[in-house]
Amino acid sequence: MNAVDYTKEPPVVEGRPALADIDEMVARPLDERPTKKFYIALSITLTMLLIGAVSLGYTLFYGIGMWGNNQPVGWGFDIINFVFWVGIGHAGTLISAILFLLRQKWRTGIARFAEAMTIFAVMTAGLFPLIHTGRVWLAGYLFPYPNQHHLWVNFTSPLVWDVFAVSTYLTVSFVFWYVGLIPDFATLRDRTKSTVKKVIYSVCSLGWRHSARHWQHYEKAYMLLAGFATPLVLSVHTIVSFDFAVSIIPGWHTTIFPPYFVAGAIFSGFAMVVKILIFVRKVFDLEDIITINHFEKMNKIILVTGLMVGYAYAMEFFIAWYSGVNAELFVFINRALGPYAWSYWIMVSCNVVFPQLFWFKKIRRSIPAMFVIALLVNVGMWFERFVIIVTSLHRDFLPSSWGMYIPTLTDFGILIGSFGLFFTLLLLFTKTLPVVSISEVKAVVDGSQPSRHGGETHE
Amino acid sequence: MAEQMKDKNQQQEQVDVHYWRSFRELYRDPQLLEEKHREFKEGVTDDFSPDQLSQISRRKFFALVGASAALAGAGCTDYREKGAVVPYNKQPEEVLPGKPNFYASTCTACPTACGILIKTREGRPIKVDGNPDHPVSKGKICSKGQASILNLYDPARLRNPKKKNGNSITSVAWKNVDEHIRSSITASVESGKEIAIITHSVVSPTAKKLLDEFAQSYPGTRVYAYELFHEENRNNAWRKCYGSGTFPLLKWDEAKVVLSLESDFLGNEGNKIEQVRLFTDGRDIMKTDTFNRLYSAESAMTLTGMNADYRLRIKADRQLEFVLSLLNEIVVKKGAGEVSLSALGVISKYSLTDFIETNGLPEKVISHLIDDLLANRGKSIVHAGRSLSEDVHIAVNVLNEALGNTALYLTSSEPVTYHTLSPKDELSELIEKMSSGEVGVLINYDSNPVYHLPSDYGFTDAMKQVPTVITLTELDSETSHESHYVLPINHTFESWGDAQTRTGYYSLQQPVIAPLLDTRQKEEILLRWMSAEDNTDGNPYHRYLMDHWENAIYAGARRSVDFRTFWYAALHDGVITERAESRSFNRVNPDALGGIELPAAGEGFTLLLQESYFLGDGKFANNGWLQEIPHPVSKIAWDNYAAISDASAKKLGVKNDDLVTIETDGRSLDLPVFVQPGTADGAVAVMLGYGRTKTAVVADNVGFNANLLMSKDSRQSPWVYTGVSVKKARGTYRVVSTQEHHAFDIPRVQDIHYIRHIIQEGTIEKYQKDPDFLDEYKHDLFSITTQKEYTGVKWAMSIDLNKCIGCADCVTACNVENNVPVVGKDQVQVGREMHWIRIDRYYSGTPEEPKIAMQPMLCQHCDKAPCENVCPVVATVHSEDGLNQMVYNRCVGTRYCSNNCPYKVRKFNFFNFRDHFRRGYYRSDLVELVNNPEVTVRSRGVMEKCTFCVQRISDARETATQEGRPLKGSDVTTACQDACNADAIVFGDMNDPESKIAKYRDHNLGYVVLEELNVRPNVTYLAKLRNIHTEDK
Repeated sequence: MNAVDYTKEPPVVEGRPALADIDEMVARPLDERPTKKFYIALSITLTMLLIGAVSLGYTLFYGIGMWGNNQPVGWGFDIINFVFWVGIGHAGTLISAILFLLRQKWRTGIARFAEAMTIFAVMTAGLFPLIHTGRVWLAGYLFPYPNQHHLWVNFTSPLVWDVFAVSTYLTVSFVFWYVGLIPDFATLRDRTKSTVKKVIYSVCSLGWRHSARHWQHYEKAYMLLAGFATPLVLSVHTIVSFDFAVSIIPGWHTTIFPPYFVAGAIFSGFAMVVKILIFVRKVFDLEDIITINHFEKMNKIILVTGLMVGYAYAMEFFIAWYSGVNAELFVFINRALGPYAWSYWIMVSCNVVFPQLFWFKKIRRSIPAMFVIALLVNVGMWFERFVIIVTSLHRDFLPSSWGMYIPTLTDFGILIGSFGLFFTLLLLFTKTLPVVSISEVKAVVDGSQPSRHGGETHE
Repeated sequence: MAEQMKDKNQQQEQVDVHYWRSFRELYRDPQLLEEKHREFKEGVTDDFSPDQLSQISRRKFFALVGASAALAGAGCTDYREKGAVVPYNKQPEEVLPGKPNFYASTCTACPTACGILIKTREGRPIKVDGNPDHPVSKGKICSKGQASILNLYDPARLRNPKKKNGNSITSVAWKNVDEHIRSSITASVESGKEIAIITHSVVSPTAKKLLDEFAQSYPGTRVYAYELFHEENRNNAWRKCYGSGTFPLLKWDEAKVVLSLESDFLGNEGNKIEQVRLFTDGRDIMKTDTFNRLYSAESAMTLTGMNADYRLRIKADRQLEFVLSLLNEIVVKKGAGEVSLSALGVISKYSLTDFIETNGLPEKVISHLIDDLLANRGKSIVHAGRSLSEDVHIAVNVLNEALGNTALYLTSSEPVTYHTLSPKDELSELIEKMSSGEVGVLINYDSNPVYHLPSDYGFTDAMKQVPTVITLTELDSETSHESHYVLPINHTFESWGDAQTRTGYYSLQQPVIAPLLDTRQKEEILLRWMSAEDNTDGNPYHRYLMDHWENAIYAGARRSVDFRTFWYAALHDGVITERAESRSFNRVNPDALGGIELPAAGEGFTLLLQESYFLGDGKFANNGWLQEIPHPVSKIAWDNYAAISDASAKKLGVKNDDLVTIETDGRSLDLPVFVQPGTADGAVAVMLGYGRTKTAVVADNVGFNANLLMSKDSRQSPWVYTGVSVKKARGTYRVVSTQEHHAFDIPRVQDIHYIRHIIQEGTIEKYQKDPDFLDEYKHDLFSITTQKEYTGVKWAMSIDLNKCIGCADCVTACNVENNVPVVGKDQVQVGREMHWIRIDRYYSGTPEEPKIAMQPMLCQHCDKAPCENVCPVVATVHSEDGLNQMVYNRCVGTRYCSNNCPYKVRKFNFFNFRDHFRRGYYRSDLVELVNNPEVTVRSRGVMEKCTFCVQRISDARETATQEGRPLKGSDVTTACQDACNADAIVFGDMNDPESKIAKYRDHNLGYVVLEELNVRPNVTYLAKLRNIHTEDK
């Protein structure tokens, strides 16, 4: 363990399971009735979801006034949560598409889960632009549809770009995920003894027969989709950052935002993946497929993106000073020293300081340590959005219009509800679909591929 | 055969043999065929002749049938049940649907009685403005007047007379009320008891006559008058100095130097409308580059102090010493001016140097003051506030005379008083009589003595001993709750009346709407009680008023026209002018100074009770619009508070919102502290008019009733108390404001308004040397995109910061014009007030001597508006005439526009505020009538903002089109512009080089806020010039 041989890749799957064992390992939870623990977990997430639903109900009935939003802080938890969840949704596609193109075999064990997470996170995120509007029932106006009034959307508004960016991302991520699932659906179809499940799996597997021809088409399609999804990973959060960068408000009007946001999104997305996979591998006995090596690699990415984010924080300050614009400089000093300084320092410590611990290999490979750090990273990234949105708005150009933003219980209710929705969907996912790509893992088990060292063991 | 068949077939076709009705038809009887060929049987049509028919055409017939059907349909339903709108069955004269009518009348919001012009639409008053023909108010009124329209539609207005039986209150008919009360009054007269009428000031000659006649017809009637705020100290001092008469009006416009002593003449003292106009006229950069100079010596930071060029912090009880020291300095030391020998003896005991030292005043400012007063003898005004004691006023009179400032006393007109206010002894006597049962009937004539009179009169207890207490009031009040009869009275807009507050003119008040509720005007109620039997329908006071005008005013005016013409002309104009006798002034009584004594220098705080700028004496407490206008200085809405200085707060160990107990002679009140920069150390200032109870849903329990601190035996004046103890109390109370309070000691938030050039200012001296001094801060901006050319009319506004005093009357006017909702304290607390225009107030300098700048801030209608390009649904767009417009129907409420607005002038409907405020206050059938029908009432989830009064622009455009001429910039005025007393707001077409606005835009003091953003606002500001000595900057 101590002396790592960097000339050889560590095994992606440990314990050299037989191919049939992999089927069994991944698919068994789908055959069994859910355990009591599952129901307890589900009841917790559903309660959270209910809290969110009630809070949302109040909001829809009475208006946005139920939230803490005000003049001058027009956006609060609504858009913070939106950007936060879109960010979470970044790891999945990065793992499945970019790492696929880069031939990172270690992705196979975690790709499926990360993709599912992406879809659920983007679904959660997608709710917020909808519900943050004052008149939700007119949200259709945000789409360019032909109408007799000749009304059209404003293509210069970043919010319209958002609508397209997020919906495209959701669609492509979903298609990519589904295409990856087809061979597994076929495997499940072949395994199951239940008639109902058989029908469902048969329909979902689109007549997959594991034929070489199917595999050939599948590989091509998967590659193309990976190529298609890759720019989206960069574009979505770039466009989300335009919501701010295109405006003229100091603290928002910053050219560093697109790369900064993308790095931050990957950062928070990986942190979320790490946290969830820690549980998944334990609960579903997938320690051999999702190994500590996987975690180490993810932690390295967290460290790198964390450094990028830290660089961005420093650079924002530098540019604010270098610009010589008082309003610009003031916003940043106000972030660090003003009434919301606590949120700024939570952000800096969680996003920049604590991830530095990942320089130590021991910590990179320690499950409890990485859990805590990943949690802190997610907290930090939520506060990053809080800092960007709230502190920039609450003291902008005219001191006369300065104000404070205090979130209400409804705000917190909706935040809790968003977590409830996300985790409910994840829980349902773990009991209905294979959490690891069976076919892909099979392809990376030692000995499954012709190799230079002829399938020797790594030990 | 074949041919025969064919023939037969043809015949069969001609006569359809398949269906025959008779054998004759089957066999094709020729006679029958002939008959069938004709439509009518032979002979039937013989009588038919087109000439004999009625001439109704087919079309007309159908029209008539349709009309009859419609008539029958309409006639069989009752439209009233369905709430349907029906046209007039008799078209009233001069009412055109969609076109407003204006009626001249008189405002009764305060005793100033300004002339007003009430705008009505289809008979419904919707807006009040000043009457331009009025010789004093000249087309302007204050916030209270503007907002008084909401009082008309206040859902809390009493709807019918009420009688108290034991503890229960029942509604009764006017007829029964009149009978009961007539008999009570008669019984009282017969038993020799007094009938007491308690009223506020009487400014109406006819009402005065009515009260006199009422007293004649019911012997034993006495009329008492009181005001919470009055000029009695000034009047008494004047009488002591000059023997008789009333204090003079002043020629503010001719003053080069004004020294204001604890006087808020720009805020709420005297005729503020006139004073602001005349004072700011001396600061019009378009007319002159030598401004008047204002020195303000005061303990509490007032609107006037905020506008002063130099401000001195002097506690109210030290003002006498200050004036005497000034006298000493000017007369004795500098040898300027003359005073009597006895006065000389008095003033020689004082020394300005000592005074400066004991009170820690800036020596330099005092020496400037002395120099200015000496250099401007005869052209300066020393003006003491009404809250200062009689002695101060006497000393000020002496000082003004010594300086020759009597030249600025107005000789052409003088104040008129129809009923002098009852002095303290008279009121005490009344209360004694009430307690001892000598008063049979007490009539609270639109007054609220339970709330207003100092508690040590014991009025409330005394009132319980009066057998019949009648209160005439619009709303429930503290007094009405203790009364046997509560009689609802008309709003001003439903009443007849007249007013005269100074010689030279009379103004008329006419109703513009029939009483909305079962109310009577207060004069009518007395008039009906005066006659034994009540036969008159309609309002008898109308006749009474006309008679009085015919017999007294018309006869006195010796007009060449008949009375009818005179009357209608007066009604039309709202005011008649007459020649007033010229006034002359004697020399001041040489012994006037003899009786004065300095107040004892007591320990503790000096309490100053101030009038609220918007609630008056509490009369307007139920007016949500006025409650929500932030205080011009502190920006606090919905509350009063104890304003103290920073040093005092530190000494007491309190900070904002901490409760303190103010105690004076056993009377105490707990209220929250507000650290007001500029307050004199050891002074505490509290506004009156708050803390109403038992009134109505808006007013109740808003703020604290500081009347409880007043005493009838106040030593100096009813509003100033010395030796007051202020102690920290337990707990806090959240006071809300519309502007964040920034700590003075955090450098990074100081002076941002100067650093960012939001406020640009200079001094008069600087401007005289270099009129273009602002050019230094102007940018040469370019754009990489092509600019849209505006060729037609392009609207623009300019605000002269030299003239703007920050009174917020424009805010009220805008609220009324544009249906801006009241949101309530809870929403102001979270920064959701909806005002389309706000007055920004910036401090710089120290908390002791803050330098204050004001700036009205509204939508800047930027040519390159940052709000427009971020709206995803194109709900905010630019018009061809340069307006930034909101399309409410399209707005989905993303609030992105507001975030991206650098001026933060967009307001979002976070709730449906019409439901939210006071649980649907706005949903009342009555209050909905207040809405301007030309302006959309916005619902929840929609962004809104200043429109430059686009409805007025549309109206002007329609008129111009009808008249076949192009629209001119001068055709339109905005509501804020109309309301501005100081005429600081200019609006018009910037593309018209001849227009006023073009000159303002091009003025070398003109600038736009945040110019460097290159959003190209259409609102420009004229930089403020302080009239200070450059070395003091």
